[in-house]
Amino acid sequence: MLTCKEMVARSSDYLDGELTLGGRLLARQHLLFCRNCRRFIKQMRLAQAAVRALPEAPVPDADALAKDLAAQRRAQDKR
Amino acid sequence: MTGTHETEFLERLLAGEQQAFKELVDTYQSAMRAVAYAIVGSRQADEAVQDAWLAVVRSLPGFQRRSSLKTWLLTITANAAKNRYKQNRREVLLDDLPSPHGSIGDDRFAADGHWRVAPFAWHEDTPEALLSEDELRQCLEHTLLSLPQFQSSVLILRERQGLELEEICNLLEISLSNVRVLLHRARLKVFATLEHFEETGQC
Repeated sequence: MLTCKEMVARSSDYLDGELTLGGRLLARQHLLFCRNCRRFIKQMRLAQAAVRALPEAPVPDADALAKDLAAQRRAQDKR
Repeated sequence: MTGTHETEFLERLLAGEQQAFKELVDTYQSAMRAVAYAIVGSRQADEAVQDAWLAVVRSLPGFQRRSSLKTWLLTITANAAKNRYKQNRREVLLDDLPSPHGSIGDDRFAADGHWRVAPFAWHEDTPEALLSEDELRQCLEHTLLSLPQFQSSVLILRERQGLELEEICNLLEISLSNVRVLLHRARLKVFATLEHFEETGQC
């Protein structure tokens, strides 16, 4: 049986599918019996989703950069 | 972006269409910056991204589409950053920094490995509900900014850009086990921040 501390230590590997088959079975078995770790994993997923859902900071001067790059691209063909 | 849509998009880029370059910048700049940031740190990341954009324009006619556009752009960025980098980054790779709300450390567990302080049940169960609180969003951004450069980049590339761990290893030239360690540390800090906020109602 894994301890809770061990479960938390390998939680990222569990979430990323990086555990071996045996490791995955051990983790699933622990989660089956441990409400606290189930909550932990559920909230880890929620934390991942929150990082993903954070609004993107706009690129400063994206228009100027795009204009510059496009101009350089066109200049290339003239050479 | 796949198939015909990408072919069409590449044609617009090759024609030097400004709107296409705007889309390119808006879509990929933050992933490119995350790659550059991991390799050269904050002081030179913007310059490295600039170098990368110039290289992209130069190499565009030769882009063979053996990889996705995104992978191609990020590989160019990693190379541009490596050309700029001088200090020995291996030394800073696994250095850690304290996070505003800590992590989920050993003190959360009893000697027998059980939770000593069990995870607090959060009030919200969707990311939208969590982030609807401005203060929480700022608090989370503050934690992300406090992460050491490799942790920050690995977290962004994985969670926000959806890159495979293998791809992150290749771009940043670090081992899979290091990517896993960095990602885990970053996630626990994000977790601790959200937990702290949900428990106390403040940052």
